[in-house]
Amino acid sequence: MSKKSASVWTSIPFWRRSAAWVTGVATVLLIWLTFDTMGQISMGSDEDLKNGITKRIPAASVINYHIDYQFDDKRGHEVPVIGEKETFFGKEWSAEEAAKLLHLGKLTSQAKNCMNCHTLLGNGAYYAPDLTKAWLDPKWNDGTMTGITGKASKEEAMAEFLMHPSQYPTHARMMPNLGITKEEAVALVAFLKHMSAIDTNGFPRNFSQSAKRLEGGTHAH
Amino acid sequence: MLINGQLKYESQKLAMNYFRVALVLFGAQLLMGLIAAIQFLYPGFLFELFDFSVARMVHINALVVWMLYAMIGSVYYMIPDETGHEAVGIALGKLAFWILTAAVAVVVLVYIFIQVGSGSESTIWFINEGREYLEAPRWADIGIVAVVLVFYYNVFFTYLKSEKKTGIMTVMVANLFALAGLYLCGMFFTDNISMDQYWWWWVIHLWVEATWEVFVGTLAAYALIKILDAKREIVEMWLWIEVLMLFGSGILGLGHHYFWIGTPEYWWEIGALFSALEPVPLVAMFVHVLYDWGKEQGHAEAGGAGTAVKNSPAMAWIASNAFGNFLGAGIWGFFHTLPQVNIYTHGTQFTAAHGHLAFFGAYATILIGMMYLGVQGAYGIKKMTMTFKTKMSLFLIIFGVLGMAVALTIAGYEQVLVERADLGGGWDAFFIAQELPWYVQAQAWRLVMGIVTLVGFVYLAWDLLTIGQEVSQKESESVAAAA
Amino acid sequence: MESVIHMPQLAPDEFLGIFVMATLVLVFGVGYAALITLSKMGFVPKKWQPFGYFFWILQAYSLYDLAQRVQSNPFTTKVLMVAMVIYLFAPHLYFYLIEESENRYDPVEDGQTTKSLKEA
Repeated sequence: MSKKSASVWTSIPFWRRSAAWVTGVATVLLIWLTFDTMGQISMGSDEDLKNGITKRIPAASVINYHIDYQFDDKRGHEVPVIGEKETFFGKEWSAEEAAKLLHLGKLTSQAKNCMNCHTLLGNGAYYAPDLTKAWLDPKWNDGTMTGITGKASKEEAMAEFLMHPSQYPTHARMMPNLGITKEEAVALVAFLKHMSAIDTNGFPRNFSQSAKRLEGGTHAH
Repeated sequence: MLINGQLKYESQKLAMNYFRVALVLFGAQLLMGLIAAIQFLYPGFLFELFDFSVARMVHINALVVWMLYAMIGSVYYMIPDETGHEAVGIALGKLAFWILTAAVAVVVLVYIFIQVGSGSESTIWFINEGREYLEAPRWADIGIVAVVLVFYYNVFFTYLKSEKKTGIMTVMVANLFALAGLYLCGMFFTDNISMDQYWWWWVIHLWVEATWEVFVGTLAAYALIKILDAKREIVEMWLWIEVLMLFGSGILGLGHHYFWIGTPEYWWEIGALFSALEPVPLVAMFVHVLYDWGKEQGHAEAGGAGTAVKNSPAMAWIASNAFGNFLGAGIWGFFHTLPQVNIYTHGTQFTAAHGHLAFFGAYATILIGMMYLGVQGAYGIKKMTMTFKTKMSLFLIIFGVLGMAVALTIAGYEQVLVERADLGGGWDAFFIAQELPWYVQAQAWRLVMGIVTLVGFVYLAWDLLTIGQEVSQKESESVAAAA
Repeated sequence: MESVIHMPQLAPDEFLGIFVMATLVLVFGVGYAALITLSKMGFVPKKWQPFGYFFWILQAYSLYDLAQRVQSNPFTTKVLMVAMVIYLFAPHLYFYLIEESENRYDPVEDGQTTKSLKEA
């Protein structure tokens, strides 16, 4: 075999070393970024909420506050805005109670396999609406679902719907009855309210405009 | 595919068992997909009996598991070829196969008959974990880890035993370590949904857009040598370049899943940059496979040998892999990978279109090719040619999956315009988009194309079961005629 | 950290152009790489090479247009154009690697192949 044209570009050891280096550097960068991200996406505390410190993922006790989703001029997209205190299922939840409730809600969301019809933070299946900002959906706020379920507050309407979804159909495609208990339903609503307070960099976009646009009637039936 | 007759190594016989189960699970995947596709059009179908969530869960789990089976099978098949040795712990390997298969059967039966549990830890442990793709309950997770350890023990120590450590085997051993280790990232519970999805993507993305891609590159390298007699040094040099490009773009390409799950904005730039580079290695792999094919064909013709391809069904599937990987993962991925666009397409049928075409193009094709290589070995066939059934299955499956992807793209496009850009998402916006004729008709075409794919699968299974017998008979007849 | 990416408000009629341009970037990209490599290898007549470069121009234009459509800032657009210039070298590097590796690992004299020698 002639050695005269043995350029480094055709050397297997060269490419092996390069592959190892590139992979190593990419992995180290990813781990470094992961450390930074972990800090930013760990859940805030009850104190943060009381002191008005904004966290990307607030504490579970955010369920005691009014949540809105508004356009932020500086960031160029919508962000969740945590406002005044409000009751949740008619009471204020202590930090521990709220954390317990969120735990049950998250567990239930997995046990009932929500993600294989819905999307959460946009990930999941595409058979049913995205749940990222479900708590803020006009459907629960404009009186439609409170009317159908005959409940006074939207959290009660949501819990009732989750327990008996196929009793309150809105479309031919319905949510099936998954045997959700009252306790689990309350927890799921807390899970949804907490998720709506997560800073998702403006996803879903124009959500806060949704109600207004639907009133315009271009596509409404 | 029914016999192992001509295989010399137990490791390769075990591989055939993995291929057999993979084929069954592939069929199950398509059936479940069919149910889910019908439910999009007729939501009353099996309502509160076998809901969409169940059909979809089994659909995607069967997909992941059949691919893992075929991947493990492919590795057991190539071990003796690449190392010159029987797998060191073959008895343990066989035991692990039966344990894994029994566990998969139990998990699937629980999915189908128990479906959901109460909101408690015990559901996570025994029924399902409710995390897309990683639904397998915790007990099964631990079982999978144990089985994978046995598998990895076999790969690693057989590799150590080999006198000449080939580049292909080196990449395989290193890559499988990462592939198996990543599974651990998906095995914990947290109340924080953003944290949950952050680590969930470590498993999903670093599997399908990094380690699985490298795995495919390694298989393609092995297959090019096996089918075409391509020169090992050249193939291995390109394999290292592919590893460099795939990991160089794919590892940080993870950023494109961190646009909207609560993670900081800097992932926009990182995700956009590195995922835009992800098609580059796919182009290189595409050109490389076709180049080797053309070159070896040229050699064979010059040498008067007719065709260079020793297994034309496998070669056809591997060539469609090179193309499908570029089309499904490259083009359909690049479509919606920029954050400016992704904020509108995220969570629409666009993702489903990309998922169908990429999983098929990048993985299903080459794994089917490996099954044909297995059949060739099992029947001791020198030159395996296509039958009518091979051609029908190739055509129908490729046409069917492409058709589904196009239909879903149209559905996704309509969703982007109506549900997202115009109406801003939400419950009513979602259903308005779901009920418009463009969407409904796209779903109807998806169902039609899904049925085409299923028919193609029937041809494929039938072919895999019979082609060995048919071709080896023809071969021995022609040998007898020549003598 | 100040974000480089600005999230544009896209109107429904802007999406088709974006998807088409994104597809064209890759289609022209693979067309360029394939034509140059194939014509250098002699599978396609040499006269096709200018068409390869034409594909590259179309690709660069498509990428520029895509960047405009998603309202990239001027800096990003410049970086993308530099990337296109780098891509101009890709098939040449590719062909160089193929040729050099053949010379090194699979030297073949005219008219006969290593394989037919082996089988003989």
